[in-house]
Amino acid sequence: MTAIPVQPPPIAIPAPPRTTLFLLAPGLLLLFAIFALPLFGLVLESLKQYVPGRVGSAVDAPLTLENYRELATPSFAGVLYETFKLSAAASLAGLLAAFPLAYCIVRRFSPRQRAVCIGLLVMLVLLSMLVRTYALELAFGSVGVARPLFLALGISPTSRWYTETLVAAGLLHAVVPMCTLTLLGTIQNIDPRFCDAAQSLGAPAWKAHLGITVPLALPGLVSAFLIAMTFSISAFVIPMVLGKGRVLFLSNTIYTRFSDVANYPSGAAVSIVMLVISLLVLSLVSLVQRRRGSRS
Amino acid sequence: MTGTAKRLGDRLLGGAMIAMLGLVLAFLVTPLLVTCLLAFDARSFLGPLPPPALSMRWFEKLVSLDYVTTGLATSLKIAVLTTSVDVFIGTAAAVALDRSNFPGRSLVMAVFLSPLIVPAVVIGFALLLFLSRIGIVDGFTRLLCGHIVITLPYVVRTVLASLSGRDRRLTEAALVLGATEHQAFWNITLPLIRSGMVTGAVFAFAVSLDDVAVSMFLTDPSTYTLPVALVSNMRASFDLTIAAAAVLLMAVSAVLIIVLERFVGFDRLLGQGLFRS
Amino acid sequence: MSNAVEFHRVSRRFGAVTAVDDVSFSIAAGETVALLGPSGCGKTSILRVIAGFERPDHGTVSIGGRDVTALKPYERNVGLLFQHYALFPHMTVAENIAYGLRHRGADRREIPDRVEAMLALVRLQGFGSRRPHQLSGGQQQRVALARALATRPGLILLDEPLSALDAKLRQDLRAELKQVLAAVNSTAMVVTHDQEEAMSLGERVFLMQAGRIVQVGAPSDVYGRPGSRFAADFMGRTNWIEAQVTRRETGLARALSRSGLSLTVPDCPSDAIDICVRPENIILSAADDADQHGMANSAKGRILNVALLGSTRQILVEMAGGEQILVMQANRVGDGLGPGQAVTIGFPVDACITMPAGNPTGLAA
Repeated sequence: MTAIPVQPPPIAIPAPPRTTLFLLAPGLLLLFAIFALPLFGLVLESLKQYVPGRVGSAVDAPLTLENYRELATPSFAGVLYETFKLSAAASLAGLLAAFPLAYCIVRRFSPRQRAVCIGLLVMLVLLSMLVRTYALELAFGSVGVARPLFLALGISPTSRWYTETLVAAGLLHAVVPMCTLTLLGTIQNIDPRFCDAAQSLGAPAWKAHLGITVPLALPGLVSAFLIAMTFSISAFVIPMVLGKGRVLFLSNTIYTRFSDVANYPSGAAVSIVMLVISLLVLSLVSLVQRRRGSRS
Repeated sequence: MTGTAKRLGDRLLGGAMIAMLGLVLAFLVTPLLVTCLLAFDARSFLGPLPPPALSMRWFEKLVSLDYVTTGLATSLKIAVLTTSVDVFIGTAAAVALDRSNFPGRSLVMAVFLSPLIVPAVVIGFALLLFLSRIGIVDGFTRLLCGHIVITLPYVVRTVLASLSGRDRRLTEAALVLGATEHQAFWNITLPLIRSGMVTGAVFAFAVSLDDVAVSMFLTDPSTYTLPVALVSNMRASFDLTIAAAAVLLMAVSAVLIIVLERFVGFDRLLGQGLFRS
Repeated sequence: MSNAVEFHRVSRRFGAVTAVDDVSFSIAAGETVALLGPSGCGKTSILRVIAGFERPDHGTVSIGGRDVTALKPYERNVGLLFQHYALFPHMTVAENIAYGLRHRGADRREIPDRVEAMLALVRLQGFGSRRPHQLSGGQQQRVALARALATRPGLILLDEPLSALDAKLRQDLRAELKQVLAAVNSTAMVVTHDQEEAMSLGERVFLMQAGRIVQVGAPSDVYGRPGSRFAADFMGRTNWIEAQVTRRETGLARALSRSGLSLTVPDCPSDAIDICVRPENIILSAADDADQHGMANSAKGRILNVALLGSTRQILVEMAGGEQILVMQANRVGDGLGPGQAVTIGFPVDACITMPAGNPTGLAA
């Protein structure tokens, strides 16, 4: 009997390169035309000299770093600081709220409760930002229904501190469902017997969670935090509506330079700064993910 | 540490956890309930809850406003067009990315997902500069371009996730049973990734319908989306017409959720790469 | 002296499923008991009730004479070896072993010595600074054992201690586990679905079925004198012969099987009986071997097939009346037994276990 050569089963069906190209071409062309080229144009614009009174720069305007140098002012630093401070606060608070919620959904709730909760969270993710901010404004805003409550507590709903908190609350409202859904998988992957083991070894439940569950969930927590951060620092509607012009985020600065002063080159420079910051935060995300990938 | 102290700690943790859950859920849901309630408020000013009488006046006012009807029409047109373009282009790209291992594949994938990384405001501003420079001034075209860019990654991502989650042996089985590659794709692969396509389409639709950051830059005086119109008016005056609009938009979210639950199911939704840490 | 563990009429329900159904038993101090049963029979629930993870709906549990029914896991000193071990992945081996000592209030200065002693007990000296994922399956099992034993628990529970290991390693570790358990001299309960593991580790076997303990006894008793069809089948391979009693003598009964085999078996109160014969108790010889070693029961048949299992082999014989009988014997080289060959099988009276027919569980008997 002759031996039949055994071929390893194909892992993927190889497609002719031409088909692949044909399938990719529309998307790539589209993204090149209305995404890559505009971003490139944005970089160029940020290097053009700004002529006051002129909408947009001239095609042959001289190249300069002036637009970036101009950003090194206390007021722009203030915007940066405000963006980061409120984003970090909302992301941290979001994590604190999301972790117990995700834990209960995975480990404590009945399948029915779990389905209802996940449905609610997905709805909150899909919920319009506009509806979210408006609802928060109606409930907790300076003229909202909770106004008498705040006045009774001695909190002035018109103070700057209050406005900042309201913007952070807006971010929090968006971040909590996001973080919770992200953490569901993390918690699902932690063997509940680790906690049982800790308790059978004499640790009370709270110490078991602190010493076992939280450290094991740490990479997931860090990812969720950074995802919340990227969302928050590029938020636009939330600071615009809830901040009422008193709390400005980077994104709002860009819009102001476009609509109010028509300084396009400066707006472009702010955009590039914002883009770089987003990329930095996101590379942290992938760093965390890669470290986790190499450990497991 | 004694047993009773350990027990006390557990009680405290358990209590704190329940309190936290209640607080979080209340924070998430209460504002929405307040909005729904106030949308039916018969008073002409923002008064304390509960409203003494209910009416449909804000809804009536809402549909009588020109900017609302125009904006809604534009929004729906843009969202439907955007979603259709996304599903075709995005699915094609995802299928190509899934089945071939050409050099630079991960780079191409990164390109398709990159609009998610760039802040929407930056995309909006960049597009505005670019489209003005090449002479496209029509608001509808501008909006369509912007919305496609920011929503395309959702479809690519969800379809890719459902492609990689499927059992490749099913396609191989079809090929062994005599199907051609094309038949195997239409008969086997496409039905298997339908849930990914639906999820991507729903998210693309929701994002398009909700977008302000990109659209703010791309509207023209006669072409604007509903959220842009609402934001402008929210800043101008604070009346409950917008609460009525919010209720309408919540209803849209609810419909989208029902679509997701029917065609995808929440369990599978979590496996589709939208909420991955 | 009080019993190490005492279950008094304990029940635990999960929704519509009764996982533990009115179970009572006691375990003497220093004894090793194997809780054996198919998956889903409730044995893990019993373990979780003893450890304190589940609270019984009814009944009381006491450990060392103290009622612990309402106590939390960390309020009882019960060692637990988890299935798949549940070693904390973010801690070293030494930190894993020290975890219980730290939380049970051991003197901090003594912990390193105690950890070393435990590592020595399971023969893993020098592995203290490794992480669990750097160890082999067998080593992980031993670390888990050391961790469970470090706090000197009066009672240790072992949940499927060997199921995650491959067959060869399992046999070695079974012997080692037995040695370690003997060395620490604590009461132990092994929960397993593997009857070999149960019989080799347990001094007594508790056989469980559908939330109840259906038979308790020394391994040889449960294997050799099963109380029900379920017990007989679960403990090992068995031939079943359905028969009718035709005549009774002192302690013996003559019975006629459906296919016409005439057998002498131990007496049984019922007329319709099931006869259980273990395959290794059947002698098989060539067809012309007339007297069959003076066996009480013998019959002629033909070999259907021979399955070689290594040191043993299973021979399926079809009797003249159509019954199929499985015979297990040591694998001797070159005796040329093969399909189609005519043979005679024989077995003594005490190789037969009789029970009333149609009583799969033995519960109502």
